[in-house]
Amino acid sequence: MVEIAVLLKQVPDTNAKIAVVSGRVDESAVTSWVTSPYDEYALEAALQHVEAAGGSITAITLGPARADKVLKDAAALGVTKLVRIWQDGWEDLDSNQVQSALADAVKASGAEMVYCGKQSADRNQGSTGPGIAELLGAACVVEVSEFDAAGSSYLRPAASGSEKVTVSAPAVITFTKTDSDLRRPNVRGIMMAKKAQIDVVASDVCGSQVTFNGHSSPAEKPPGKTYQGSDSVPEVVGLLRDEAKVL
Amino acid sequence: MVYEALDFYDVDSQLTEEEVMVRDMVRDWVEEEVLPKIEDACAEGVFPDEWRVALGEMGVLGAPLEGYGCPGLSYTAYGVICRELERGDSGLRSFASVQGSLAMYPIWDFGSEEQKEKYLPKMASGELIGCFGLTEPDYGSNPGDMVTRAEDKGDHYLLNGAKMWITNGTISDLAVVWAKLDGVIRGFIVETGDEGYSAPEMKGKYSLRASVTSELVFQDCKIPKDRILPGVKGLRGPFSCLNNARFGISWGALGAAQACYNSAKEYALSRTQFDQPIAAYQLIQNKLAWMLREITKGQLLALELGRKKDSGTWIPEHISLAKMNNVDIALEIARMARDMHGANGILDEYCIMRHMANLESVKTYEGTHDIHNLILGRHITGIQSFTRSL
Amino acid sequence: MDITIIAETNGNQLHAVTRQLVGAASSLGASPTILCPSGSGADEAAGIAGVGKVLSVNGDCFSTFDGGAWAAALDAAAGDGVIMGAATAQGRDVVSRIAARRSIPVVQDVVALSGGIKMTHPIYSGKAMQDVTVAGSCAITLRANTFPAAGDGGSAESATVQQSGDVKIAVQEAIAKASERLDVSDADVIISGGRGMGGPENFDKLYSLAEGLGAAVGASRAAVDAWDGIPHTMQVGQTGKTVNPTLYIAVGISGAIQHLAGMRTSKYIVAINKDPEAPIFKVADYGIVSTWEEALPVLASEIGKLQ
Repeated sequence: MVEIAVLLKQVPDTNAKIAVVSGRVDESAVTSWVTSPYDEYALEAALQHVEAAGGSITAITLGPARADKVLKDAAALGVTKLVRIWQDGWEDLDSNQVQSALADAVKASGAEMVYCGKQSADRNQGSTGPGIAELLGAACVVEVSEFDAAGSSYLRPAASGSEKVTVSAPAVITFTKTDSDLRRPNVRGIMMAKKAQIDVVASDVCGSQVTFNGHSSPAEKPPGKTYQGSDSVPEVVGLLRDEAKVL
Repeated sequence: MVYEALDFYDVDSQLTEEEVMVRDMVRDWVEEEVLPKIEDACAEGVFPDEWRVALGEMGVLGAPLEGYGCPGLSYTAYGVICRELERGDSGLRSFASVQGSLAMYPIWDFGSEEQKEKYLPKMASGELIGCFGLTEPDYGSNPGDMVTRAEDKGDHYLLNGAKMWITNGTISDLAVVWAKLDGVIRGFIVETGDEGYSAPEMKGKYSLRASVTSELVFQDCKIPKDRILPGVKGLRGPFSCLNNARFGISWGALGAAQACYNSAKEYALSRTQFDQPIAAYQLIQNKLAWMLREITKGQLLALELGRKKDSGTWIPEHISLAKMNNVDIALEIARMARDMHGANGILDEYCIMRHMANLESVKTYEGTHDIHNLILGRHITGIQSFTRSL
Repeated sequence: MDITIIAETNGNQLHAVTRQLVGAASSLGASPTILCPSGSGADEAAGIAGVGKVLSVNGDCFSTFDGGAWAAALDAAAGDGVIMGAATAQGRDVVSRIAARRSIPVVQDVVALSGGIKMTHPIYSGKAMQDVTVAGSCAITLRANTFPAAGDGGSAESATVQQSGDVKIAVQEAIAKASERLDVSDADVIISGGRGMGGPENFDKLYSLAEGLGAAVGASRAAVDAWDGIPHTMQVGQTGKTVNPTLYIAVGISGAIQHLAGMRTSKYIVAINKDPEAPIFKVADYGIVSTWEEALPVLASEIGKLQ
């Protein structure tokens, strides 16, 4: 039996055009909100784990009312314990604030394992998993790409390539892309999700220690250039490294 | 890449949360599982069995039917399912239309309790496939004069005749066949394996190639007495089924239209000629604007029809209007899109000609375009003009 | 502002990124202390220009990677102020946990730094940038190959300290890097070959280049149709896959509209084609007019130099 808390974050659809308006990414222009993709891999792993070992899942999200959608989507897959953390007026929370609010919800859920994505598709920070582990006094295995459904081992990156590790509860596992895509819901699940009960909880967090200065669009790419002959390859490679910064 | 369906008036914002989740479930499945395989399925002329399994697992077969393991969704949800399936391929949507509206529905509405328990749950799960035998080689728009007949032989019925253009026929486990018993049209459930029944496939199609089309042949076909549908007599039986299927098609056609529109728009923006994308030319913009206009009108028609269906305030003529209009504009959009794609439009690199060829069938089946016109004409004037003598 | 750097190592050697961390710290006017877990790279660290002090942290916990154990040990050894690490999987894990222990904020994957401390990091997979300031103590990780590396000439004092933490993760099995081929739909870097490659056997050159880059190998429809050895699963383009990598290298591909539709949204496009009129050059950020026979060996050697 295992009790797993799965952390799900709602983010703009990853194919959406991101526009910066008056120094901030314009959320009102976002037409489609989804569950952060790495979190979906975490949810699938949790569903498989509970199918193999018994137990239950609590899905937790930190976000405004529109984030209920990620919980309802989880409900359509059979998750019955759904928690959303929010306080009116919250804006630009720093890492400590986010981690302490989520850690409180995890403690309240009674879960001994926490599954989440290695980083969210919006802020791309990757601090939440390890940070929450620290607050819970738990171990953390990051960037897991393969897992045993009964939760007995996880594959993570290593200097050799990758390594299979075991860890005992309490533990936080952060997931990267795995071979197990999140399963599709079916109509029965969708009808059950209609009756889903979401617990909305507030959380007291300390003040932010980070001053948010603003968002900006990345520098425009210079127009494309064509170079003659294979002698130009070293120059192009240098540009790819220094100008494009892709190497 | 996520599919963005044209929705200029944001009609989908009027769907319920449940209808949106169903939409997204089918849309994602079509994107991931159907589109990568559809061109091959079309080229080979097969309906992949995995799709039957997936549709059953998703729980979308017989969408608006309640009870007996059926989904119990709204008619609007059924329409949304059809739209998302047909954005993939009309042949795929035809499978679901036939299974749900033409095979499951008559059992659900006109069958005995035993028949409902026996067939419906397994048809909802996709384990049993059904088909609908109404059309005959010589009787299409005029089904009332059909010649397939059933004789009461005491302890069984004996069926003789043939049906043609039957989607799913060859792969079906059962067929809901309409035949005259003492001159009155009745529905009979014929099972694969019944003596004297065969369902050969019709080959050589240029349209709906990813769908199985068959003849149903009855040569002294013996079926047990308990296979008759007790709840209906006359054309009301098959027409009730057709109304439901036509409803789904009025939404489905929009899916095909949206797919063609998206392709045309993207092509116009990428293809350059005379140093600018062809999207910069007025004739191209005129065509895109026309497509946007017709798709938007079609969406509003379909949504309103869905509401009428769900509230029980519909009449068959409402469905005739939507089916006729939406299929007609979808076919025109496909043809226009092919033209805009230039020579590229004939390649299977693009979905255009496949949709275009499919929509030719969709315009003819489930009541031809012209027949629906006359149905409306009769409604307006009170005078039927199908024939001189009725 | 005191800055403590967590050294990033490669086996017993200092990883190149550590010098970039020193460079960044120096640009803020600091003389950073470098913590070397198990003393790895400590000698080299002491020779980096700008380093104030090198502290080897010796403890049993460093034989296995457990972010919690390492964070406990390094947190005890590190002074107050700014904790700086590399934005690698391990670096991000350890630095997040030190931040949580100290209740200081953590900012990851920083690409620009200035006094204050003002920091910029990419968000939405680089579609936008976020700018923040943390006036007090904080923990940060820097993106590799973004900051200039500090040179030699330093002579920092060295010391050793014993610190350890509880290791709760056990390694069962190390698995060597499988040379399984990446799929085009997942890869961040794609190298595609077209009919210009001449034959499927020449794709071997693309595969070995791809290994060096951690890239997937794709193909145009023309190549897939022409050669059995190039399967449909590799096809990029209309009926193949639509891809969106950070870097797309098109070799011997003319750039027909169907292929472009499949890769047009790549962040950066490099094209190698012997025909200067090939349409692919219209969309390439960096186009190289050359035969692939001449260009690929040079490309392979230049990329080798970067590793």
